[in-house]
Amino acid sequence: MENLQMLFMGFSVVLTLENVLVTMLGAVLGLIVGAMPGIGSLAGVALLLPLTYKFNPTTAIIMLGSLYYANMYGGSFSAILLNIPGDSPAVMTALDGYPMATKRNRPGQALFTANMSSFIGGLIGMLILTFMGPLLADLGLKFGPAEMTALLLVAMTSIGWLVGESPTKGVVLTMVGILLASMGMDTLTGSPRYDFGNMYLLGGIPFTPFVIGAVGFSQVLKLMEERNKKVEAHLNQKLTIRGSLLTLHDFRRLVPPAIRSGFMGTFVGVLPGAGATTGAFLGYAAQKAFKSEEPLGSGAIEGIASCEAANNAAAAGSFAPLLALGIPGSGTGAVLLGGLMMWGLNPGPLLFSTNPDFAWGLIASLFLANLLTLIIALGIIPFLVKILTVPVKMLIPIITVVCVVGGYSTSNSMYGVIIMFLSGLFGYILDRNGYGVAPMLLAFVLAPLLESNMRKAFIISHGSMGIFFEKPIAAFLIIVLFAIILTPVIKFVLRKAGVLKK
Amino acid sequence: MQTKKITSKMVIPVVTAVIAVLFIYLGITKYGFWHELRGPLPGFFPTIIGFALLALSFLAFLGGRKEEDTKYPIENWYPALGVIGIMLATLVIGMLPSLAIFVILWLKVFEKYNWKTTFVGLVIIMAIVIGAFVMWLGVPFPKGLIYNLIAY
Repeated sequence: MENLQMLFMGFSVVLTLENVLVTMLGAVLGLIVGAMPGIGSLAGVALLLPLTYKFNPTTAIIMLGSLYYANMYGGSFSAILLNIPGDSPAVMTALDGYPMATKRNRPGQALFTANMSSFIGGLIGMLILTFMGPLLADLGLKFGPAEMTALLLVAMTSIGWLVGESPTKGVVLTMVGILLASMGMDTLTGSPRYDFGNMYLLGGIPFTPFVIGAVGFSQVLKLMEERNKKVEAHLNQKLTIRGSLLTLHDFRRLVPPAIRSGFMGTFVGVLPGAGATTGAFLGYAAQKAFKSEEPLGSGAIEGIASCEAANNAAAAGSFAPLLALGIPGSGTGAVLLGGLMMWGLNPGPLLFSTNPDFAWGLIASLFLANLLTLIIALGIIPFLVKILTVPVKMLIPIITVVCVVGGYSTSNSMYGVIIMFLSGLFGYILDRNGYGVAPMLLAFVLAPLLESNMRKAFIISHGSMGIFFEKPIAAFLIIVLFAIILTPVIKFVLRKAGVLKK
Repeated sequence: MQTKKITSKMVIPVVTAVIAVLFIYLGITKYGFWHELRGPLPGFFPTIIGFALLALSFLAFLGGRKEEDTKYPIENWYPALGVIGIMLATLVIGMLPSLAIFVILWLKVFEKYNWKTTFVGLVIIMAIVIGAFVMWLGVPFPKGLIYNLIAY
């Protein structure tokens, strides 16, 4: 009950005219950016990050939360209408969404199903977050520096391990992200280090230009290959809101898979590295065990509902470790965490007790964003084809300009543009070689927390490694860490020895 | 004897290994690793991570040797050239005119859009920049050498 009271207090924070308008703005921008094929939620949130500078911290955080959440909705639009997933979680949506829109000639209903299922899944995720977030925070309060160090190492390496094509490459970039973050000032003593005599590097690498470049500008370079692709929607009818409404029978088919996937997706979202994409895959896979009126893959409502509910629930669920432990579950979560830190907020076990306004305000804003995004998402159905078919040729200069001004606006100096430019080139080269940048961003954000906890642990133990094995939680987490790190090494050795197939 | 071609998948781990060595070297020699009384020093954490990165870079290098080479189409670098152009032009004519010229050149000369589409694109982009960044966020964009010469 106390949690519900706190949630209502959160609503009292959120329900001001400014915050509601900002949530709507975040929802509209998030939907549009999320819907455009090729941009995706990570680049979308990164590109829109500078827009929050003007607001007070609470409002800025509410906008970031709403942006992130609406992005999850937007990814399904292009998957359904164009068979081009706007984001990786929408890959599964395309399997049934596109056939429903084209073969079954029900594009509006496919969009409505995706929106409604996203709403149901998100709502379930948020309700669980309301109760689980503070519980996780209570558990987190029992964590000392050794446990936090072990937990952060597990989170960082597991994301490096799970995201991208190779575990080794993911963990390499995790380490690079940590080293880049250690440039500037030492976290405990404040003395300069790794500044290479450069005045600008004394303050470290600024987060916003770094992330805009690594995901936004590198995306522009990648989009160049698609600039001559013609994007067309093969629909036989005009999209209208009235023509998109679902029948009662459709609703009956939609609700059970959406509820099931909502619960499952939330728990998947809590796990670091799993995130919305895994949630969507598992939601769809689980639906195969249940009865669907039409076969999955042929345009079944159940197929769309299961993956859309799961990915939005996972997005909501990922807020639990983000807020309660300060550990994001994905690259987009890392950008969001960086944004929160930019506003002087340190998500972690103490957040719910020291900054209840922020914590509960953000959770309440997710509920509001979920509802507003649903309404806006249904409202823009008639305009979707126009939004989705904006030529890539036109998007390239737009995103390039936003990257330049976004990089500049952080520090009001060309230093930000240079960082954006270099990290963009760096991100592009890495991406071309199968190194996804998400683990690097996550490590960059979490490195200061990891370093301060690790050093505190060693100060307490007078340099003994025993501190990581004496307490059961820390010992368990260290075993998990070793399992994560050693798996690729053992696989490599076994392959060399011919025990495993190449 | 056949020599193996050096690919970017092999170069990247070498670069990360060099970064690791640099951080380890500076961590130990300049910032300090451990103090008997004060415990870990500023170089402690980056040095440990540096060693981990060095080991993983070696593994990534071995893996990269078997992978196919990556291609970098020349036109993918054009936006990067555009940004370099914007940065240089900003020094002379300021950022906003540089951005406007970039958009016009990109849409009209590179993409060969007609003047109407180019103008519409320019208006949309400049509306975003001026509306969101100049009017809303109040970002003082650099005005460039020419403006400064005229104004002062």
